[in-house]
Amino acid sequence: MASRLLWASRAASYLRISVSHRGFASACKYAGDDEDGKSHGGLRSKIDLKYAESHEWVKVDGNTATVGITDHAQDHLGDVVFVELPEVGATVSQGSGFGAVESVKATSDVYSPVSGNVVEVNEELNNSPGFAPHLPLPVNSSPYEKGWIMKVEVKDASELDTLKNSDDYAKFCDEEDAKH
Amino acid sequence: MRFQRSLEVWKLGKINYLEALKLQEKLVCDRKAHKIPDTLLSLQHPPTYTLGKRRTDHNLLIPVPELEKIGAELHYTQRGGDITYHGPHQAILYPIISLREIGLGARKYVEKLELTMIDLASQYGVKACAGKKCETGVWVGDRKIGAIGVRISSGITSHGLAFNIDPDLDYFKHIVPCGIADKEVTSLRRETGNIGFKAFENSGPVVIMIGGVI
Repeated sequence: MASRLLWASRAASYLRISVSHRGFASACKYAGDDEDGKSHGGLRSKIDLKYAESHEWVKVDGNTATVGITDHAQDHLGDVVFVELPEVGATVSQGSGFGAVESVKATSDVYSPVSGNVVEVNEELNNSPGFAPHLPLPVNSSPYEKGWIMKVEVKDASELDTLKNSDDYAKFCDEEDAKH
Repeated sequence: MRFQRSLEVWKLGKINYLEALKLQEKLVCDRKAHKIPDTLLSLQHPPTYTLGKRRTDHNLLIPVPELEKIGAELHYTQRGGDITYHGPHQAILYPIISLREIGLGARKYVEKLELTMIDLASQYGVKACAGKKCETGVWVGDRKIGAIGVRISSGITSHGLAFNIDPDLDYFKHIVPCGIADKEVTSLRRETGNIGFKAFENSGPVVIMIGGVI
């Protein structure tokens, strides 16, 4: 456990991302990690993500974009107990609200980083009970993997140019955190 | 770097829930457009039950048609949290503030709301504490004295906290408060034996609450 945290801290430092020290959420979870924290091409996947200033991430594969909230977001929200998912078939637009998450008695709107049609939502989030006192949803423990929220068929790939890359997002998070 | 921030406080007295909701919606829009500074609404409601986004109406123990007989209204909202009761002599604060501008997340904001109520209770010699995980709110032992339900939209808060000075606690019997069965609800009056709303109003606690919130 200690060595996994040390590895995560070093990786976080390399990517200039602040590390969460909350017990139940892994500091930095990368695509392709297995449980002992060994990376299997994970760093490459994380660097492929794009980020919105409202702390959502998007990963594009062909015409399909997968969307979720970032590790920074889940850390600042607290234990997520409920996710309001969009309807499959709904249209989303970049920068507009597509749902909400609830944590610590606060609902926080979430904003789509891309425009298009919702083709799939994460049923793992749907199946959790409305109030799950001892089980934070995977949005907390695996924000970039199991905690994905929706998949969107994107219309205009050039929208991604307005989003931040990994380095810029990490810097943005540091600047936000320095405000208080 | 610290910079000067301002907070406008609106003391609204007793205001109907829907009126307060519409006012908050307008203020959130105005705050988002930078037309107003951070704003704090201080008020009470007539007897009102409210539900959060999850619409947990199974926690309302009285049939809706009976509500009129007890002089209460019911409203559905977009805030977080479960069912709760608001009524006269319960101090309510609705901060309309930009968390984004101060880089604050939901968790820290709610912690500050809890600390505000804990501070306030301690001013009257009542030892209160924040709830354990999943029991957000403020407790005296296992009795709940303060509730929280917040909405954050474009980084701007609405709804907020409700602190029981001396409301009619019987109204809480018609709900499972905050969805937590087997726990009591209490008030400053009950915990101190003598502090009622008049004493509370005269002691200027709103200033204390403001200091705690942001």
